[in-house]
Amino acid sequence: MARLEVKSEVTGTVWKIEKSVGDSVAEFDDIMILESMKMEIPAPSPADGKVVEILVEEGVAVEEGQVLAIVES
Amino acid sequence: MSDAPETKSAAEERLEELKNRRAWAEELGGADAVERHHARGRLTIRERIGHLIDKGSFHEVGKLTGNGKYDENNEVTGVTPAPYVMGLAEIDGRPIAVGGEDFTVRGGTSWGARRRKGGQGGFVEDLAHEYRIPLVNLIDGAGGTVTSLKSRGHSVFPGIFGFERSVELLGEVPVVAAVMGTAAGGPAGRAILSHFSIMVEGTSQVFAAGPPVVKRSLGQEIDKDDLGGVQVAVETSGTIHNAAKDEDDAFRQIRQFLSYMPQNVWELPPRGATDDPVDRCEEGLRKIIPEKRTRAYDMRKLIEMVVDRDSMFEIQPGYGKAVIVTMARLNGYPVGVIANNPMIYGGAMDAKAARKQIHFMELCDNFHIPVIFLVDVPGFMVGLAAEKEGALREGMRAVYTAGKMRVPTFTLVIRKCYGMAGMATCNKNGVDMKVAWPSAEWGSLPIEGGVAAAFRREIEAAEDPAAKEKEIEAELRPFASPFRTAEAFEVEDIIDPIETRPFFCKFVELAYARLKHSLGPQSRAGVQP
Repeated sequence: MARLEVKSEVTGTVWKIEKSVGDSVAEFDDIMILESMKMEIPAPSPADGKVVEILVEEGVAVEEGQVLAIVES
Repeated sequence: MSDAPETKSAAEERLEELKNRRAWAEELGGADAVERHHARGRLTIRERIGHLIDKGSFHEVGKLTGNGKYDENNEVTGVTPAPYVMGLAEIDGRPIAVGGEDFTVRGGTSWGARRRKGGQGGFVEDLAHEYRIPLVNLIDGAGGTVTSLKSRGHSVFPGIFGFERSVELLGEVPVVAAVMGTAAGGPAGRAILSHFSIMVEGTSQVFAAGPPVVKRSLGQEIDKDDLGGVQVAVETSGTIHNAAKDEDDAFRQIRQFLSYMPQNVWELPPRGATDDPVDRCEEGLRKIIPEKRTRAYDMRKLIEMVVDRDSMFEIQPGYGKAVIVTMARLNGYPVGVIANNPMIYGGAMDAKAARKQIHFMELCDNFHIPVIFLVDVPGFMVGLAAEKEGALREGMRAVYTAGKMRVPTFTLVIRKCYGMAGMATCNKNGVDMKVAWPSAEWGSLPIEGGVAAAFRREIEAAEDPAAKEKEIEAELRPFASPFRTAEAFEVEDIIDPIETRPFFCKFVELAYARLKHSLGPQSRAGVQP
């Protein structure tokens, strides 16, 4: 079991969190949607696995490179 | 014959000496030095060349070069080889010149002799120049050393053994540089004077000067990997294009890069084999663009559905991520694909993305590789950080470079194409085509925001300003339809997304037929902004 970090590619805000801790996810499934430059930018799961941590809340600002969630694969 | 003396003839002795001298060259810096080198997880220069090229294709040049040791009778007892191994070889059956420093001999420092095998102004570059074949530099050297000051009797003026040939080669033949160890100073500079550069995660570092010089100059204590490892040199500064997982991955990437390249600017890029049908029309292309125009999507998946299967080779994937630049093939013909990445700030062009796109456009233009733009760009990146890093100037350099390109280009607008960043995604030379998907939208700026700025007074005077803004937007939106632009013949066509691959295959074939008549080196005039 590897713990994989889901990182933000952009500086922006968390718009909508689509998965909860404990949810199973497939690779490329959107875990949350960020908002930046008036665009909705998905943060997808890097692999098939399970969401074990969500580290942000809806509405908060995030930095480029910030870890948003952890997926166990 | 039985009474012939047992002694060897002079001819036999000379042949034996040749054999010995070749064997000494194979020993590199000696068994101990080779073992230490291996223990650091690194291959020797001879192993590196062997892993890179077609098996058995190495024809070494200058194998006997080195410092001979002689006994009191002037009989040679050994030779310490010159710290550079080079020669001719083949990759996929095509000739190349290849060379690299031998770290096991004095750490691969510059060879003190007048005539050089490699490095700045080395003979390996003459081979590439004279035979008009690609050059692969496997760099693993510390460059100049003050230890040669005494033996030489004077210090070397910078540029006496300069980069003239290295610079000249960039307009003639593909030049690949692989930083295999720690490269500082001259070798680091030589790595950058290339069309494609690569370094190995964990074992390669590249910088103007290493930690000891940094400490003395600035008082900064920093580890060499923190100063010039992949994280800095590839992901942050873009000094080196690609990172490799290990040495063999670096060789694999070099072979793949060269597979798209012509041997030189006087020849066409080689058509590769493909069993991917030209008329493969992926239904997925109709679904990849989200209905909601503010929703990002995966541009790499889109590219994969269009180009020949498994033909993508991305350059600088970790740098300037707002744009994706990748080599690919269409019906076997090499093409360069430049695609905006909506997942990174909506694809807005920042300084790094502009730099990456400029290099790639020049590369394709120089080697007559047709360029395909897949456009979804809202404009230049905005905000204080972008202004400070010079996104506007770098972006305009991209516009300038796009305008100077002479290789055929094909522009397909996927979604947004706005403003000056939009101009950097096409040129209007001769055969160059601009087409669009029905999802396209364009203009000097988007209607949203554009309306707020242009109709400010009208909106402010309204009873319900927000409603007024919406009303004007709704009034203008029908005029933004791409079909209206097609009516005016400002785009050549609008295509169904599933027609994308057959469309490109057709035009790339025509582009190659035309390119036959316009090969040769580029003349460069003008001043980049």
